[in-house]
Amino acid sequence: MKVLDFEKTRKLLLKHKIPFPKTELATSKKQALFFAEKIGYPVVLKISLLVLHKTDVKGVITGIKDRKEMEKAWEHIGRKEVLVQKMIKGKEIILGMKKDAQFGPVLMAGFGGIFVELFKDVSFRIAPVDEKQGLEMLKELKSFPVLKGFRGDRGVNIKEIVRVIVNLSKLSLDKNIKEIDFNPLIVNEKKAFVVDAKIIYERS
Amino acid sequence: MRDLKKIFNPKSIAIIGAKDKENSVGSGLMKNALKGKSRVYAVNPNREKILGIKCFPSVKSIPGFVDLAIIAVPASIVPLVVKECSEKKVGAMIIVSAGFSENGSRGKILQKRIIEIAKRAGIPLLGPNCLGVLGPKNGLNASFAPSLPKPGGIAFISQSGAIIDSLIDCNENYGFSGLVSYGNEADLSLTDFIEWFGFDKETKVIALYLEGILEGRRFMEVCKRVSKNKPILVIKAGKSKQVQNAVSTHTGSLAGNYQIYQAAFKQSGVHEAETLEELFDVAKALSWQPRIKNGIAIITNGGGCGVLGADYCQELGVKLSKITEENLRKLDKVMHPAFSRSNPLDIIGDALSYRYKAGIDTLLSQRNVNGILVIQTSQIMTESEKNAKIVIEASKKYPRKAIVACFMGGKIAGLGINILEKNYIPNYSDPKRAVRALKGLIK
Repeated sequence: MKVLDFEKTRKLLLKHKIPFPKTELATSKKQALFFAEKIGYPVVLKISLLVLHKTDVKGVITGIKDRKEMEKAWEHIGRKEVLVQKMIKGKEIILGMKKDAQFGPVLMAGFGGIFVELFKDVSFRIAPVDEKQGLEMLKELKSFPVLKGFRGDRGVNIKEIVRVIVNLSKLSLDKNIKEIDFNPLIVNEKKAFVVDAKIIYERS
Repeated sequence: MRDLKKIFNPKSIAIIGAKDKENSVGSGLMKNALKGKSRVYAVNPNREKILGIKCFPSVKSIPGFVDLAIIAVPASIVPLVVKECSEKKVGAMIIVSAGFSENGSRGKILQKRIIEIAKRAGIPLLGPNCLGVLGPKNGLNASFAPSLPKPGGIAFISQSGAIIDSLIDCNENYGFSGLVSYGNEADLSLTDFIEWFGFDKETKVIALYLEGILEGRRFMEVCKRVSKNKPILVIKAGKSKQVQNAVSTHTGSLAGNYQIYQAAFKQSGVHEAETLEELFDVAKALSWQPRIKNGIAIITNGGGCGVLGADYCQELGVKLSKITEENLRKLDKVMHPAFSRSNPLDIIGDALSYRYKAGIDTLLSQRNVNGILVIQTSQIMTESEKNAKIVIEASKKYPRKAIVACFMGGKIAGLGINILEKNYIPNYSDPKRAVRALKGLIK
């Protein structure tokens, strides 16, 4: 079992029409600054070495507003390979897939980063799922009202999440892929972006 | 679909490993088989006669056709017996013997050998490591279960034979179209039996006890199809199993075995029960009463039980229909002045049968009332038998509406309960059980 590298992950997401923010792999400070200008501030800097919980190892710096902050962030992370990514604002969703020995690909949807781990607010379906089932998965979450908009807080574009679920379902039929995490998928009123994708495949 | 006629309707049965020793599997199988309509052959090379009938040294020495061979010999000689059965061209086989895939690598090898022989001969095989099958309508008991239960509309397919034994022995009024203990699924699987009972006319509801499924995708596909016309209920054991193999994603660590089963049940129209009691409470209702749309009424002679019923309805998503103004005015003329004038309809503790009759008739006459829960507490003036008869009349008048009863108590209630259950009105001792049964009837 291996983790798919950045370039291959990017290609696979593109092929399956799964949206992600503009992201570049920088190998020097100079390059990182260049990419940040090109992508446009604010940006996020994160280590490209694939670690399970990036927030645990302080491998992510968000909300970098300008060149000065970028230089500081680069020094702080202190790695040779760093991803520069457009900063997206919105609510955090987790989507994922696991291959089960009896049922094949199983999809998961859950609400928000650490809340998934704390409250296990997740739902499951056996793939393939269509738009109707994708929406049901979200409706099953206790925190669904938060996605719809709660107490004056504006809701998010639920259709966009459903679209990602359906495309994840198609991607999960790939025989070589064993597990997938889209964590987080950030969604706002307009769009949804897979900010971090981890794809585990079997050596073939 | 696999043809299971020779299993459920055999003209002749051979018991291989028949015995006359009391309390042995071999004698249990013989006694059960002899009570049925099939011709029974005993096979045992060490006996001349068993329970008064001639004993054959091997299945091959039986002169006539053998539709069903039931094999109860030590695991090590099962492959040989299966081979003889295939040469005899028996119609189907049930292997009761244990000591196969459930029992280490040696057992796995034995099981592989018997599958190979059976598949090559094209003979359907149930087991090994199972109790057998029962078909109450034909009087068939091809098992070593203690007795044959009443015929009825429930098909029960169970990974555990012992649960079937206790179910048959219990005092509840369940009727079965078939009971299957499917053992190790070497050949015939849980899914094959679901498919079979899906087409079986006697079967109104299919109930499952399972720990694990061998072919998840096919199970889903078949259940999706069958559950469109026939309800499927399941109790899943082994929920606490930890996530197996090492995982490296959040999804991997969150997707436990049971969560995956739950998703599969949901997607294929299979309803989950939490307890065996719930499984058969709901199965009984489905085997006796029509399935309905949401929208029911509760009638009660005890306010407290009505409130409990309403609470459970809300909890389970069962809608209580509003009683029309016109009907309330009708009821005003018959009822005690303090009656509830709402749903649940509380007809007050001193209610005699005429109040039940007026209440039940009025509620069922409403188009938005698709089913009714009749609660009766046992008070000094309560006319339990009369009330039961009123319920039965109403069920005849409104055959497309569901009626579930909750006659609570012992001696007084019992008089009515007997009559209700004889006439296919399911009665439950607790309002929660009754509401859950009603919920199970809602499409």
